Amino acid sequence: MSEFAAYTVIGLSLGAIFALAALGIVLIYRATGVLNFAHGAMGMFSTFVAWQVFYRWEPSWLPGWALTAIAVLVGLAFAVVLGLVLELAVFQWVRTRPPITKAVITIGVLLALQSAASLIWKNNQYHLPIYIAPQTWTFQVAGVPIGANSIVIVMVAIGLAFGLAAYLKFTRMGRAMRAVSDDPVSAALWAVPVGKVGAVSWMLGSFIAAVAGILITPFINFDTTSLTLIIIDALAAALIGGLVSLPLTVLGGFVLGLLETYPSIWIQSLGFSRLIALLVIVGVLIFRAPRGMPVASR
Amino acid sequence: MSHLTRLLVAVAAFLVLAWIPAGLDVGLKFDAALSLVWGFGILSLVLLTGYVGQVSLCQATFAGVGAYAAGMIVNTFHAGYVVGIVVGVVAAFALGLLVGLPALRLRGITLAIVTLGIALVFDKYVFQDHLFDWFTGGSAGWRVDGADLLGLRADSSSHLLAAYEVLLALFILTSLLMVNLHQSGAGRRFRAIRDSELAASTMGVSLTRYKLLAFGLSAAIAGLGGSFYPLVAGSVSPQPFWVFTSLQLAAIAVLMGVRYVPAAALGGFFLAFVPDILTRNGHGTFLGRYSYDISYDWFSLALGVLLIVQLILLPDGVWGDIHTRAAKMWSGLRHRTERQVSLA
Amino acid sequence: MTMLRVRDLYVRFGGVVALDRVSLDLNRGEILGLIGPNGAGKTTLFNCISGVVSPEAGQMFFEARSLRNAPAHERARRGIARTFQNLQQWNSMTVLENVSVPMDALGRRSTLGDALGNPMSMFAERVTMERARAILHVLDLGRYADTKAGDLPAGIQRRVEIARALAVRPKLLLLDEPAAGLDANETWRLAELLHTVRDRFHVSMLLVDHDMSLVLRVSDYVYVLDFGKLLARGRPADIRSDPKVIAAYLGESTHEASEPRAVIDETATGEQAPLLEVTKLAAGYGPLEVIRDVNLSVRPGEIVACIGANGAGKTTALRAISGIIRPRSGRVRFGGRDIAGRPPEHIAALGLAHIPEGRGLFPRMNVEDTLLLASDNTGDRVDPRVAYEAFPRLKQRRWQAVGTLSGGEQQMVAIARALLARPKLVMVDEMSQGLAPTIVRQLFEMLVILRRQGIAVLLVEQFVESALEIADRAYVFEHGTVGHEAPAADLLADRKLISGSYLGSAVDEAAAVPLGANGNGHRPDVELMETLALKMPAGVKRAIEERAEREGRPAGAVALELLEGAKK
Repeated sequence: MSEFAAYTVIGLSLGAIFALAALGIVLIYRATGVLNFAHGAMGMFSTFVAWQVFYRWEPSWLPGWALTAIAVLVGLAFAVVLGLVLELAVFQWVRTRPPITKAVITIGVLLALQSAASLIWKNNQYHLPIYIAPQTWTFQVAGVPIGANSIVIVMVAIGLAFGLAAYLKFTRMGRAMRAVSDDPVSAALWAVPVGKVGAVSWMLGSFIAAVAGILITPFINFDTTSLTLIIIDALAAALIGGLVSLPLTVLGGFVLGLLETYPSIWIQSLGFSRLIALLVIVGVLIFRAPRGMPVASR
Repeated sequence: MSHLTRLLVAVAAFLVLAWIPAGLDVGLKFDAALSLVWGFGILSLVLLTGYVGQVSLCQATFAGVGAYAAGMIVNTFHAGYVVGIVVGVVAAFALGLLVGLPALRLRGITLAIVTLGIALVFDKYVFQDHLFDWFTGGSAGWRVDGADLLGLRADSSSHLLAAYEVLLALFILTSLLMVNLHQSGAGRRFRAIRDSELAASTMGVSLTRYKLLAFGLSAAIAGLGGSFYPLVAGSVSPQPFWVFTSLQLAAIAVLMGVRYVPAAALGGFFLAFVPDILTRNGHGTFLGRYSYDISYDWFSLALGVLLIVQLILLPDGVWGDIHTRAAKMWSGLRHRTERQVSLA
Repeated sequence: MTMLRVRDLYVRFGGVVALDRVSLDLNRGEILGLIGPNGAGKTTLFNCISGVVSPEAGQMFFEARSLRNAPAHERARRGIARTFQNLQQWNSMTVLENVSVPMDALGRRSTLGDALGNPMSMFAERVTMERARAILHVLDLGRYADTKAGDLPAGIQRRVEIARALAVRPKLLLLDEPAAGLDANETWRLAELLHTVRDRFHVSMLLVDHDMSLVLRVSDYVYVLDFGKLLARGRPADIRSDPKVIAAYLGESTHEASEPRAVIDETATGEQAPLLEVTKLAAGYGPLEVIRDVNLSVRPGEIVACIGANGAGKTTALRAISGIIRPRSGRVRFGGRDIAGRPPEHIAALGLAHIPEGRGLFPRMNVEDTLLLASDNTGDRVDPRVAYEAFPRLKQRRWQAVGTLSGGEQQMVAIARALLARPKLVMVDEMSQGLAPTIVRQLFEMLVILRRQGIAVLLVEQFVESALEIADRAYVFEHGTVGHEAPAADLLADRKLISGSYLGSAVDEAAAVPLGANGNGHRPDVELMETLALKMPAGVKRAIEERAEREGRPAGAVALELLEGAKK
C-alpha cells in the first residue's frame, strides 16, 4: 500500500511539471496561434542558465539558500527576456501565416536552442540538479515519506495555476489576453493591443516553462535533451484540456503524471511512459477534436 | 521533359557522380554513402509533405525500422544482405500504413504532434527497451561484418565504395520514379489532396486510399535508405535514428524546398558532409589569437536559425525559390524571343 | 423523371432549426434555383445534398437510390458534382491538370503503373488529356490549359471549377454561389455559360445564389426558403412578383403608427467635412474580388444606411474599412487620416468602431468584464455603470457569460460597448439578424440615442424598412459597387427602386403558385410517381403539377384527363 502511495507522490510531482509546461503551451497557443514545440527547449535553456549561476558561481560570502534564490531569479529573468526576444524577432512577423508554418518555425527554434545549449553546456554530461529544498528533508504523511522537493513542486504548480487564473481574471492585461484567446479578430476591433498581448504571452509562457524546468531537475536525467522532450507530455496534457481550458489542462497534467508513473510498479522500462503519452495524445485527438484545431475535414 | 529525357539525365547523373568518391579517403567515402542514406529520408518527405501535403516528423524512425530489420534478418537468419534490404523496406512500409491511419482524421499541427510522439516512442522505447531486443540486437545493436551483398562481403576494403554505388543507383532510380509519379495521374491526385482535400474528395479521389498509400510509400523510401545503414556504418544503434534526426530531416527538407526532388539530394549532402568537414577543418586559430572549434552542434544551430529565417522570408525553400526564379527567367526569355520573331 | 428527390429534410445546429421538413424535386434537364434571405437554410440544404452535412431526419434519393451515408467520392461516382463558393481550386496545378484529375480518379488508374510509365498508363494518360482538352474547348478555356490555376483571375477560375466538375461526367451539377465575386457583366456571361453547359453536356443543375439576376434568369424553376421552411416555389417570373417573397427579403412593409419619424436636424450635418471618406475601394477574399469601386462618405452625427442584396458587398466593404481585410486598392480616410491597410487595432484606437455580423463579442467573458474591456482601451476609462443605466437588463445579467445571453441582449452589449468607448463612428453590420421585431425596434432607437451623443452611424441592414426609418441617407449596393445613393425618405417612398435591386426587375402583380395543404408545398404521391414514370420534359411535368395544385386535385388525375383529351 505504501508503495502505491509513494508512486502516487512521484506521479503527482511529475504531473505538476507537466501541468506547468502545458499551461505555458496553452497560454501561448490561445494568444498567438503558435503551438510552441520549442517550449521544453526554452525551459531547458533557462534552467541551464540558472544552473550556471548555481554551480559555477560560488562566492563564499553568500549563504546556500540565497545562492539558490539568486540562481532561480536569474534563470527566470532570462526566460522572460527570451520570450520577449522570440516575439520581437520572430513571431510578430508571421502572425498571419497558417498554424502549421508557425509550428515548423518553433521546430527551428527548438533545434537552435538545443544546439546552443549543447555547445555551451556539453550534451551528454550528467549535471547535478538544482534543489529548491534540501534533498534530505522529508515529511511523513500517513506513513509515506514525501520529499520536500515534491511538495514544493506540487505547491508551486497549484499556486501558479491559481495565480495565472487570477491574473487573467482581474487585471487589464489579463482581460485583453482572454479577449484575444477567444477571438483575435474581434479583439482587434475592440482596439485591444494585439502586439502587446502577444509579447506578454510569450514572456509569461517562457517564464512558466522555466519554472517547470528548474523544478524538474531532481527527478529526471538533467541533460539538454531530456528536458526538451518534455514537450510531448506537455502536449498530451494540453490536449486533454482541449487547448482551451486551463483548469482541465492542469488536471490533465496530474492525470498524465499518474498514468505514466503507475505502470512502473509492474513494468521496469524506461521508455514505456513515452508510449503512454503517445496513446493519450492519439486517444484525445481521435475522440475529441479540440476547439480551434483543424482536425477533421471541414 | 519526356520520360526518355528524364531517363537519359538520370543515367548521365549516375555516371558523373559514381566515380567522384573513388579518390577520397575512407571518412569521406563514408560521408558520401551516408549522405545518400539521409537523402532517401528527405526524398520520403518530398513525397509525403511536398507532393501530398501531409506533415510528418518521424521519417528517421522509418529509416531506423529499415535499418534494424535488415540487421536482424542478416544476423538472426544469416541471409544475404539483399533479403535484409527487402524485409527492411516491407517493414517500413507496414509501419507507414499504420502511421497513416491517424492521418486520415488529422491534419496539420495535430498530425505533426502524433508523428513526433511516434518518433519519440520508437526512439526511447522500441529502439532501446529490452522488450525489443529480438529486433534491435540488444544495447550493442547488430553488427553486419560478415554479410554478403551480392557477392561483396561487408568487411572487404572496397565495401564502402560498392555500397555507395548501389545506393547511388537506387537513389537515382527512386528519384526518377518520383518525378514520373509527379507528372502522372497518380501524382495529380496526390497534389490535389495537397491543394484542397475537400475538392479532391468531392471530385472522386478516395482520400483513404491515397493518404495511406502516400504514408506507406514514403516510409518505404525512408526504410530503403535506412536498410543500407548497417552496411555503411558496420552496426546499428538508436542514436542516428533519434527524434532529433527526424526533426533535422524535416528542417532541411523545408529549407531546401520540400516540393522538389533535387532538394533531397542537396539536403542529404548537407546533412552528411557539412558536419564532418566542419569537424575536420573547423578548428584552428583565427587571427593568430582566438582558437575556434566548430562541431556538429554549430551545424544544427545554423540549421535551426536558417529554418526560422527562411520560413519568415521565403516560404518555398531555397531550391523552390531558385526554381521559381529560373522558371520566370526562362518564360521571360521565351516571350522576348517570340516577340522578336514576330516583329521580324 | 425525377432525378433528385428530397423529402422532409430536418437539420438542427445546436438550438437552431436550420431546415424544417423541407422537400424538393429536381427533374432531368432542369436548372433548379434555390434562393432565400440570409440564414434561410438554402446553404444547409445544399450541403445536405452534396454530402457535407448529415440531416437528422428526412430522405434524399438520387435516381431512386438513397444518398444517406454516401461519402463524397461515392457521390461523385454516382454522378453528382459540385463547385465551391470560395473556389477550391488546385492552385499549384495547371488548368488542364485540374480538369484531368476527376477523370483519372473515377477511371481507377494504377499508381505504380503511372510511376513506371508503362504503356497502359501512357495510353490512358493520352485519352484523359484529350478528353480534358475537349471540355476546355467547349468552355473556351483552351488558351489557359497550361496556366497554373492559382494565377488566373476569379472569373476564369469559376469556369475552370465548372469544367472540373464536368469532368466528373455528372448527371447533376450542384453550383454553390457561382456568382460570388463577379460583377454584372461577368454574371451575365455566367448565365449564358450555364445554359451552354446544360445543352452541350446534358447536365441538370441545382443552383444556390444570392444574386437574383442570375438565378431568375437561368433557372427553369425556383424554390424559395425562409427560416428553414419552403416559402414559395414557381417559375422565375412568378417568384419575382410574389409579395411573400418580397416581404421575406425586404422586411415587413408595415409602418408603425406609434412612433412618428424622428425629425432630423438637417443643418447640423449639412456642411461639415466628412468624417469617413471612402474612394474607389476594392477588396475581396483570395482570388475573388467582392467589391470594386465603392465610394461612400459619412459626416459627423449622420446615420447612413447601406442596403442591397446579399453578396452585393456591404459586409466586405465594412471589413475593408475597419481593417479586418486588406483593401486591394482605393483610399479610406478617417478624421483626415489615411487608414487603408493599417491593422484593425490601430483603426479602432482612432475612434472607428465596428460591430460585425455575429456581434464580435467574447463568448466566455461575462458582461462586467466585457464592459471593462471596452473602457480599458479607450483611454477615457468611462465607468461601466453608464452602460447599465442605458440597458438595465444587462445589470441583471452582469456576471453571466456573454455567450449565454439571448441574441437581443448580446446586441445590447455590443452597443453598450459603443457607448463606453465613445468612438466617433460606429459601423453596425446586420444588427437585426435573428432578432424579434420588438427588440429590433429598441435597438434602432439606441442608434438614434448614439447619434444624439454625437456618434455617427454607418448601418448595414437587410431589413430595409427599419434602417431607412432612422437613416438620413442610404447607399444601395449592387454587384460589388454602389448602385445609387439617395436620401432615406426618397427610398422609403418608392419601394420599387429597392425591390428592383434585390429581385432584378420591376414588381409585377401576377401571383405565384399558392402552397399545397401541408405547408411545405409538396404533396408526396408515391403511386403517382410510379404511374408517371414516363420520360417527359421537366416543364410539362411542372405545368401538370401546378395545375393540379391550383385545382386542388391529384396531379395524376390532371395528367390522365389531358391524355384522354389528346386521344380524342
